[in-house]
Amino acid sequence: MPGQMKILEYDVLVIGGGIAGGESALNLANLGYNVLLVEKELSIGGKMILLSKVFPTLDCGACITTPKISEIARHPNITIFTGAEIRIITKKGEHLFEAIVSQNPRYVNIDDCTGCQLCEEACPVSVIDEYQYGLVGRKAAYIPFSIASPRAAAIDIENCTLCGACERVCPTQCIDFTQTVEEFLVKVKSVVVATGFELFDPLKIPRYGYDKFKNVTTAMHMERQLSPTRPFNSILRPGDGKLPDNIAYVLCAGSRDKSVGNPICSQVCCMYSIKQAQLLMGALPMADVTIYYLHIRAFGKGFNEFYAQSQDMGVEFIKGKIGKITEKENGNLILRYEDIEKGKVTEAEHDMVVLSIGLLPNQGISDVFDNETLQLDPFHFVDQSDILASPAKTSIEGVFVAGTASGPMDIPDSILSGGAASAETTSYLRRAAL
Amino acid sequence: MKKKVGVYICHCGGNISDYVDVEKVRQSVESINGVYLAKTTMFACADSNQKDMVEDIREQNLDGVVVAACSPKLHLLTFRAVVERAGMNKYNFVHANIREQVSWAHSDNKTGATEKAIQIVKAAIAKVQNSEALEPVKVQATKAVAVIGAGVAGMRAAIELAEAGSEVYLIERSFFVGGRIAQWDNICGTEETGKELVTRLYDEVIKHKHVTLFTGAEVIENRGSVGNFMLKVKVTPRYFKLPCSDGKLQEAIDVCPVIVPDEFNFNITSRKAIYHNYPSEYPQLPAIDMENCTRCGKCENVCSSIDFTQKTEYLNLKVGSVLLATGYDPYEPKKGEFAYGEIDHVVTLPQFKRIVHYCDEKLSYKGKDIKHIAYIYCVGSRQVDGENKYCSRYCCTVNIHTAITVKKKYKNIYNYHFNRGIRTYGKQEVWYDESSRLGDIYLQSFDNDPPVVEKRGDKILVKIKDVLTTDKQLEVVADLVVLVTGMVPRKDNSIGNLLKIPKGRDNFFNEIHMKLRPVETVIDGVTIAGASQGPKNVMESVNSALAAATKSFSLVDSGELALEPTVAEVDEQTCEWCGKCDEACPFNAFEKVEIEGKLIARVNPVVCKGCGMCLPVCPVNALNLIGLTDKDVENMISALIPND
Repeated sequence: MPGQMKILEYDVLVIGGGIAGGESALNLANLGYNVLLVEKELSIGGKMILLSKVFPTLDCGACITTPKISEIARHPNITIFTGAEIRIITKKGEHLFEAIVSQNPRYVNIDDCTGCQLCEEACPVSVIDEYQYGLVGRKAAYIPFSIASPRAAAIDIENCTLCGACERVCPTQCIDFTQTVEEFLVKVKSVVVATGFELFDPLKIPRYGYDKFKNVTTAMHMERQLSPTRPFNSILRPGDGKLPDNIAYVLCAGSRDKSVGNPICSQVCCMYSIKQAQLLMGALPMADVTIYYLHIRAFGKGFNEFYAQSQDMGVEFIKGKIGKITEKENGNLILRYEDIEKGKVTEAEHDMVVLSIGLLPNQGISDVFDNETLQLDPFHFVDQSDILASPAKTSIEGVFVAGTASGPMDIPDSILSGGAASAETTSYLRRAAL
Repeated sequence: MKKKVGVYICHCGGNISDYVDVEKVRQSVESINGVYLAKTTMFACADSNQKDMVEDIREQNLDGVVVAACSPKLHLLTFRAVVERAGMNKYNFVHANIREQVSWAHSDNKTGATEKAIQIVKAAIAKVQNSEALEPVKVQATKAVAVIGAGVAGMRAAIELAEAGSEVYLIERSFFVGGRIAQWDNICGTEETGKELVTRLYDEVIKHKHVTLFTGAEVIENRGSVGNFMLKVKVTPRYFKLPCSDGKLQEAIDVCPVIVPDEFNFNITSRKAIYHNYPSEYPQLPAIDMENCTRCGKCENVCSSIDFTQKTEYLNLKVGSVLLATGYDPYEPKKGEFAYGEIDHVVTLPQFKRIVHYCDEKLSYKGKDIKHIAYIYCVGSRQVDGENKYCSRYCCTVNIHTAITVKKKYKNIYNYHFNRGIRTYGKQEVWYDESSRLGDIYLQSFDNDPPVVEKRGDKILVKIKDVLTTDKQLEVVADLVVLVTGMVPRKDNSIGNLLKIPKGRDNFFNEIHMKLRPVETVIDGVTIAGASQGPKNVMESVNSALAAATKSFSLVDSGELALEPTVAEVDEQTCEWCGKCDEACPFNAFEKVEIEGKLIARVNPVVCKGCGMCLPVCPVNALNLIGLTDKDVENMISALIPND
């Protein structure tokens, strides 16, 4: 009931606390605007904070993300809601939007939590850790991941048995099971949509055997295994924990494929696969890495040189689309494919297969707009209404888009796009002030 | 000497600790005299550790801090901010690099890496023990930005800066705005033509009272730096004054006897010495190209708007920031490269786009009807032998889009794409898909075996060993060969040299950090946008232009800037002006002044970057670097040499 909701006012609502939304929020805050950053996950940082090293410079993702995240978290002009969702946004007039934001209960008072992890040790419930993409387990009382911001515990109430163990050990009494969903009416002058992307679900390509064959994994799983906050401190194949020594990458898994409803190129898979191949050669010096590709899209600054470097390091590139994957008794996998350069259909055996899954739109954002339509493009990304002169503009005046919400892009492009969205927002807000 | 130094040694999540025994480093330094606490941390830069550091500094009253982690290029500012939040002067923080200089460099030798890390941390401790609290140099920033280049990126940045509230000087070297985009017809992704886009942006530029546009203008000097760049701009007259009636104008162009190749059409046509590139071009006033004008006076006789008395003007502008949007040059193939310059009907993609622009009903070039077109990709990009190793990013999509346009515009066109792997990334894939559906033929060459263009009789043949048909040797008879040329950095780098902007290995302007600071340069106050930083399409150029505008604006909007106090200083007693420091300085930070009848050098602390180039050349040792004194260096060297 709106009458009882707490009313909050800001200049800008940024939806999504990934690297693009964060860049927009930070730029706007530095210019003196008050920003509300709403993130549905328990930590800001988006997908980037979970990555290992990033191409083509091989900087570690965490090293680049954490200081930005920390700057955002500390900024006096930025208020952050994590674990929160936008229910509805109504445009009330020029420079006036009203949003209902619901803050889901974390059952932990963030301000008092010291991140000591005693609750985690005490919790008897073990479930799959979604931030490690299911590679390991976590407790029902948990800190999302070691470099999360806020670095505070949360209670996963769906799995919690309400045993009270965490409450008893918490030294600051910050666990509070009485928290409920809290709704806020937020009044803002402008909105930045930075809702990011979703990963393609490899179950949609049954012939690749994901989930059926244990040693068929995705690039995001590999990313977690290679990252500084990795669960195993080594690369293990999922089926039996063996160190793999002959790894295959299958590019365009779910991209450039009309049969799964995604005809476009995901723009980053070639490069992240090449990067992972280079990192694997460091982590497993004896391993062979083969990349099966259609076209290598190494188009950005320093990308083609990075591709050439991987060839020099001994990564094998085979031009061909994988038709089918089958499993041998020992868990190894047989890849059947057309080797285009040799002109024949052939088979190869690998002990681990990584599907280079693509980027899909994070759908649902257009539904929250109440009285105006947030136009989507044919691929369900947010449509850029003036793509040449104002790439951040959307079909709704005063609503701007940043990062992969408008289409697949890499980190440098996302950050530039975040910068563009903040620029457009600034001039829109200036017009409000005049 | 400091008594309470805190030392933090970072694991960097394994980036360091996989090769350096960080615990051993900690143990080796914790008992050094003056070290009060020594800790290791998983991620020194993470918020949780930053909080711990602030608490330590406050509660333990630390008087100096060392963080041994990654390169200071990445996180010096992060940790300075941390100590500042805790109430400590930020120059009492010293950053030790044990990642780029240790763990990554010595991943093959863990013992050696650990020893080296210990020495480096010891040296950092020696430095922090004598560090002094310093105050930043304060500068009042001028709330104005100079945008160099009025192409799509420059114009868009100028509009945004003005909207945000800055004064903007938009400086264009040629007589007309629009840059490369003015040369294109319809741009893929929209139905808009380049000219329409230029018109739209120009209208906004002109109506904005805070943007001043200069055409025929070039920055020729800079005597200033961040906050207050003092630019000298040379404005070449166009020798025209308003009003200018259309009829008389055309007459003046007609009587001009000088004919020169028209660069706007990439030399496939010619123009007069009086010219505009196209009738609706902006500003809508022609110009006289004095390099080619013979001053015969014929034009003056027919058109009263022509005014040869106009003089070159020099303006002085003061701006807080400079935004470079100087664009790119299309790659110019060498004579003989795929028969360019040897066979008439071998043209570049930019030339081809102009040919298509001028052909309405039917496509013809140099008297020949064109039906079969062979496109050769990656000319000047991804070179196996040449210097350009990079991919030019925009050419695959733009060429495919052009090929589709041609097929739709004229009858009976056959397109053959001699490519090296098509890179229509992202949504641009739809053009590749459409062209394939329209029946275009794609042939792919091996990287080290490019196609060959040759003439046989009056026919042009393109031969390729095709990847897609298993190595088969194929031949296509083509009426026209289009070399899909990439983007190269501007040949004329005068503005880059003037402002001392570093270049990357691809020779485009280099950003500080591709992800953290993608539009800023190491020269404080200078931002880069568009294709000056690397190949980009229109949308990407505009995104970077807007991002650069934000950075430039937040700089000039802040009013007062706090600059690094770690600059050179001159001991006035010792200095006997010899000028050697001035010669060595890459930033023109020195001036010669007379004090009580004696000539000495003086450092402008706003311009000086503290690079230290001047110090070793001073014959009387009169120079000192604040924050890194001779004493500091000696202390660090002593710490670096292991005690026997």
